[in-house]
Amino acid sequence: MQPLPATLPAPDRTLDATGTLCPVPIVETAKAVKALAEGAVLLVLATDPGVATDMPMWCKAMRHEHLATFRDGATWKSYLRKRGRGAGR
Amino acid sequence: MIRKGKAIAMISGGLDSTLALALVLRQGIEVKAINFYTGFCITETQRRKGGRADGTVPQNEALRAAADLEVEIEYVDISGGPYLDMLVNPRYGYGQNANPCVDCRIFMMQKAREIMEREGADFVFTGEVLGQRPKSQRRDTLWLIEKRSGLEGRLLRPLSARLLPPTVPEQEGLVDRERLLDISGRSRLRQMALARELGLTDWPQPAGGCCFLTDEAFGRKFFDLLDGRQAAGEPRRLVPEDVVLLSTGRHFRISPKVKLIVGRTEVENVLLEKYADGRARLAARDVNGPVALVEGTPTWEERLLASRVVARYGKGRSDAEVVVEWREGDEVEAYAVPPEADEARIEAMRV
Repeated sequence: MQPLPATLPAPDRTLDATGTLCPVPIVETAKAVKALAEGAVLLVLATDPGVATDMPMWCKAMRHEHLATFRDGATWKSYLRKRGRGAGR
Repeated sequence: MIRKGKAIAMISGGLDSTLALALVLRQGIEVKAINFYTGFCITETQRRKGGRADGTVPQNEALRAAADLEVEIEYVDISGGPYLDMLVNPRYGYGQNANPCVDCRIFMMQKAREIMEREGADFVFTGEVLGQRPKSQRRDTLWLIEKRSGLEGRLLRPLSARLLPPTVPEQEGLVDRERLLDISGRSRLRQMALARELGLTDWPQPAGGCCFLTDEAFGRKFFDLLDGRQAAGEPRRLVPEDVVLLSTGRHFRISPKVKLIVGRTEVENVLLEKYADGRARLAARDVNGPVALVEGTPTWEERLLASRVVARYGKGRSDAEVVVEWREGDEVEAYAVPPEADEARIEAMRV
């Protein structure tokens, strides 16, 4: 897992996917990101531990910037920044 | 100049579909990967129950493959009613267990075709290998699946393409047939060599054991549930919560119309609690033990029998008597019973 950055940006939107099971958090994240502007930051809250492995991989596949995924009490928090379509190719 | 094509990749993240993905990407074709969530994936279920026995959480292989090859991926949830109806009434029948592989492939490929049309893509491709599976990957079955899914000429199997008739994207020159493969059969040697050549190092163990429907014990529970519904005069149907319960706990057939499910772990107990609505919820009252659910309308004798089995799996298993509490809505009853000691009787009821 990548080291946590010292500071995290304030999210433009927070998606609460707590209580849902894999793959729902990723499916919901995909929908939420679609509605965001390029460069916007999304915070995803989840309780399924699968998010810790899935979110970095999903971000890499979709070319969004994965900022951090970490545990905060019983909840996992995942920060990502939406990239423009085709960015980084 | 030849137009650059776009394709939809059906991937599981296993070796074959990852290689198919790499082969098509290598030809400069734009690819969108899709992965179907059926509700019967063994890995997903393990994850839902808090990981493997050794405490590790298995990764999602389709996501990993898409991430490795930097391909956009979409999860497609097909776990609802129409998929379950197909499972109960498969047109082309079952394999060894509760696995209607041909119907399931057709179902998925129909969805893939809809996505292809929505995305303006030219074709769909898979990691299927001619002759690798006894039924669903025979030459005539591959053709049947292609036709029934409405993908005629637009379904490419890159690993076996040169053994199959040319597809439309090959004829139109979007895909170079010469750079596709002619693999057939069950051996994986050529795939492994190709993986090394392409620099792919990380893939899960060869597939087959990833779907509950192909599992013998699961298949028994699947058909037992449908038979039970029928015996109770209900339609032979499945709903999504049945799928969760089928992969949770020990299952006992108390009578043709009555079934008992006993949690095996703390996580399963919590899961069973969630599905107590519309069922009787059983647990030992004064000692620790599993949560159990009863489906159907048990007689007095069947209530005692179910209580004895629940007592048998708790901390009171060596006590002379255990009080088992039944909750059905607001109704609470308690049965003081000796834990069932007759192992042969328990085994005879086990589904």
